[in-house]
Amino acid sequence: MVGPLIPMGVIPETWNNVIALLLGVGFGFSLEASGFSSSRKIMGTFFGYDFVVLRVFFTAAITAMTGIFYFDYMGWMDASMLYINPYYVMSAIIGGIIMGFGFALGGFCPGTSFTGVAIGKIDAMFFSGGLFIGVFIFSELYPLFQGLYNSHNLGGAKIYELLGMRDTVFAFLLIVVAVGMFYGAAFVEKKVTKVEY
Amino acid sequence: MNKRYLLLAGIIIALGVGILFMPAKDTAKQPKPELLLAAIDDPSRFLSTDDITDRLVKKNPALILIDVRPESQFKAFSIPGAINIPSDSLLSASALEILNQKEMDKVFYSNADVTSDQAWIICKRLGLQRIYVMQGGVNRWFSTIVKAEKPAETATTKALELYQFRIAACQHFFGSPEMAAKTETVAAKKTVNVVKKSSGGKSGGGC
Amino acid sequence: MAKNKRDGTFYINPYLGGVLLGLVLFGTYYITGRGLGASGAVKSSVVSAVHTIAPVHAEGNKYYSKFLSDDASPMSNWLVFEVIGVIVGGFLSGTLYGRLKFIVEHSPKITGRTRLIAALAGGILFGVGSQFARGCTSGAALSGMAVLSASGIITMMAIFGSAYLFSWIFKKLWI
Repeated sequence: MVGPLIPMGVIPETWNNVIALLLGVGFGFSLEASGFSSSRKIMGTFFGYDFVVLRVFFTAAITAMTGIFYFDYMGWMDASMLYINPYYVMSAIIGGIIMGFGFALGGFCPGTSFTGVAIGKIDAMFFSGGLFIGVFIFSELYPLFQGLYNSHNLGGAKIYELLGMRDTVFAFLLIVVAVGMFYGAAFVEKKVTKVEY
Repeated sequence: MNKRYLLLAGIIIALGVGILFMPAKDTAKQPKPELLLAAIDDPSRFLSTDDITDRLVKKNPALILIDVRPESQFKAFSIPGAINIPSDSLLSASALEILNQKEMDKVFYSNADVTSDQAWIICKRLGLQRIYVMQGGVNRWFSTIVKAEKPAETATTKALELYQFRIAACQHFFGSPEMAAKTETVAAKKTVNVVKKSSGGKSGGGC
Repeated sequence: MAKNKRDGTFYINPYLGGVLLGLVLFGTYYITGRGLGASGAVKSSVVSAVHTIAPVHAEGNKYYSKFLSDDASPMSNWLVFEVIGVIVGGFLSGTLYGRLKFIVEHSPKITGRTRLIAALAGGILFGVGSQFARGCTSGAALSGMAVLSASGIITMMAIFGSAYLFSWIFKKLWI
């Protein structure tokens, strides 16, 4: 079976929502079991007392990336069919900075706040409520942001194209950087005083 | 515990080294449609006929002027110094060898802009660098250089200088004025449709 | 050990969690051809809620109408089902490790009320930011990194870079 299965027509579309639910369960379980339902555990990454976010995030990214590379190489999946988010330069950077601000105040990101809601964290419920308000505000004020939102479209650009690098070289460097960061994180964690949460 | 982490790190780095040795995919080179669109919107690929003429007269070594019209039209009339790569053989091995010279400016021209611009888009998609289009093609080259229009005597010095340059260039290409006139009639005869199609073409005195 | 696991303090090894999450992400790409997401579900719900309450307004607004035309496409519903799955998965894990409890988690230096206000403000900002970046930490950053998309990696650096700076400004909220 050559993936991606649904775009290739291997799995009928009617299964879409069932698959979504199952993958969501896996997503939610791995987030919660790793401790992403606790905002203070998440924030540990920024203060150096708990690097769980850094570890889980980068391990997940390089695992999935490695899987895609090998499946594509073996011909089990066509990586060029995968959806790539379009890169609107200014919009992505400004959006990222706003999200970073929200992260520092709220201590969650959308996915993790939903797992927090699932186990009864009231702060996560407020955060999730805020998400809806935020999306609503953005949509209502969209005419103001429209220019910025649509400027500098580079399409589904890949990072290695912009850097003028081969994809395999970038992937290898990313893995090396990730492992280096894991090592650094363990080193910093030893130095920083533990915070009870 | 530490040993286990070392083992895991070793595994993932080994997998990374494996990725490093995967063969390149040729599709990766092609620019995305959006990048291509942005490049098409950018008018900097257009060079003026005067610009090209100046470089031809000065025998600029970094210039390859490429006529993308069919061979018959190229033989009937072409800009001196140009080489012929008909647009249908743009992807042939010999053509790609010429187009792949990184340190050269490759300038396409056709009768007007359409065929040369198509050639440009194809080369852009191939990821080639330093490719340009001579704006207006043969038609404009003919009307601006060969049939340069004498500006009014009240015209600015700049316009007069440009006219002098064009006359000189024309002489450079076709020799004495008489010979130029001869060439011109021959050329004009064979490229009748060319002159007619000219969008911005102005008829005026010859060399 | 089994008893220890149920008191709510046990978390799986972060690298194991990362590999699990990575496999889920990989599976999502393998099956559906696109990555995971979270904020997209919020967007779909907001769009359909506004459309239900004020249809004329929603169709007149350029942002809502962009997604209303796509509403029939399964992908917009896809994320809603996925997020329902996330809540179910979180609940399963919470049950397994004994973490089900209604609490407001906050630093001892602040009151629960302050924490809730900060959480709400953070949520609003995250909601706005995720629309600018066309995805949040999961949809844009994590999924984007797995396919080496430029937007994913730039958004990830912007999120974590600015969160790092701002978290030191709001240090009191956390430690």
